[in-house]
Amino acid sequence: MKVEDIKAYIESGILELYVLGDVTPQEKLEVEAMAAKHPAIKAELEEIEKSLELYAEANAIEPDENQRDRVLNSLVVNLGDDRNFGRREEKPEAKVVPFEQPKQTNFYKYAFAASLALLIASTIALISVYNKLKDSQNLVASLNNQNQQMANTVSLKDGEIGVLRDPSFKMYKLNGTTKSPKSALMVAWSPSKKKVWIDMATAKMPANDKDHSYQLWAIVAGKPIDLGVFNADTTSKDMKEMKDVELASAFAVTLEKRGGSLTPSMDEMMVKSF
Amino acid sequence: MSKRHKISLSEEELIAALRNRERIAAEALYDMYSASLYGVISRIVIDTAIAEDVLQDTFIKIWNSFASYSSDKGRLFTWMVNIARNLAIDKIRSKDFKNQNKNQELENNVTFIDEQRNTAYKPELMGIKDLVETLKPEQKSILDLVYFKGYTHVEAADELGVPLGTIKTRLRMAIVQLRKFFN
Repeated sequence: MKVEDIKAYIESGILELYVLGDVTPQEKLEVEAMAAKHPAIKAELEEIEKSLELYAEANAIEPDENQRDRVLNSLVVNLGDDRNFGRREEKPEAKVVPFEQPKQTNFYKYAFAASLALLIASTIALISVYNKLKDSQNLVASLNNQNQQMANTVSLKDGEIGVLRDPSFKMYKLNGTTKSPKSALMVAWSPSKKKVWIDMATAKMPANDKDHSYQLWAIVAGKPIDLGVFNADTTSKDMKEMKDVELASAFAVTLEKRGGSLTPSMDEMMVKSF
Repeated sequence: MSKRHKISLSEEELIAALRNRERIAAEALYDMYSASLYGVISRIVIDTAIAEDVLQDTFIKIWNSFASYSSDKGRLFTWMVNIARNLAIDKIRSKDFKNQNKNQELENNVTFIDEQRNTAYKPELMGIKDLVETLKPEQKSILDLVYFKGYTHVEAADELGVPLGTIKTRLRMAIVQLRKFFN
């Protein structure tokens, strides 16, 4: 290799990168081979190294004083040498530190896994409890509903029993007319309280279609007065309260269009008390 | 500066003692080089506790793999500072370190760190101000990126937006300036 080539090699900047550890393995071998062959390159490398070492010294930062014992103790542990070493102080952190790191990572791994498992378990428990709560709320709502129905029934039954207990009520049996000889209806009327009830349990009325209803009339001073409408219901065991009337001489039921009429259709009279 | 008397050996004596794994070798090694190595490490790893861990790891590695050092291939400090720089870079690029979120933007850390800490000026290097002035700003920035921040010259070219050839030339000129200054 010519002198100029060596000069060019030196000036390429590769030697500086070599000293800085910034070369590929091939470049490293190449520089080392060149340095072994050419004293000028070897000398140049030495100069670069010295100047960078001095630059590092110029920029040196003293580590904290307690680091000296820490580092030297860790070297002693590595050496397996327990001879008295400098001013060794027994510090727990001075024991081999490199092994602490993986332990810590493991701890966080396990902690994370445990937290995740706990979260899943809690979520499942929460869903289960929530479902039970919903079931309970539904049960309470349905019991409330039943309770309300029961209260309504009791209140109705109270009314019915009142009718039977009250001596002011008179019972009228309405018998079938020629149009419907087998029909019958019991009417309870209290002239003093003006109340009128009909007994659905004992009523014998032919079923009416959905376009028609039965209408109860009271005959007052020879004229029919509307007391309300009802439907034939063989399943009912109740009494039904109708409109009030004070001075009735007789009762009758006609079949009318649904909702009732203002005046009775006399030819559709089903039952009467006269 | 420590009140303790620092042990100092010639490089040849130190290398021989290290080969024999003598205890005085470990003490001399620390006393002679810890500040220079810590200067490099703590400019890369900003967090003091982590930088101290890296310093310890560096000495452990130097101590344990000393057999692989050959004085034919260069000076002891060159070998050691490359170990320190690599360990420091491994640390800041490790998952653990990133998780700790202690990473800082690299820009201007060199000046930042010098403002934060007392750089241990050596009496024989009292001309430190002259040293800084002897380097042109673009020479200092490339040298500090590669030497103190552990950038490769390729990364430095990227960071500074300068062609690779220019980076190599500037780096060489910076070190030529240093050599002139120290001679």
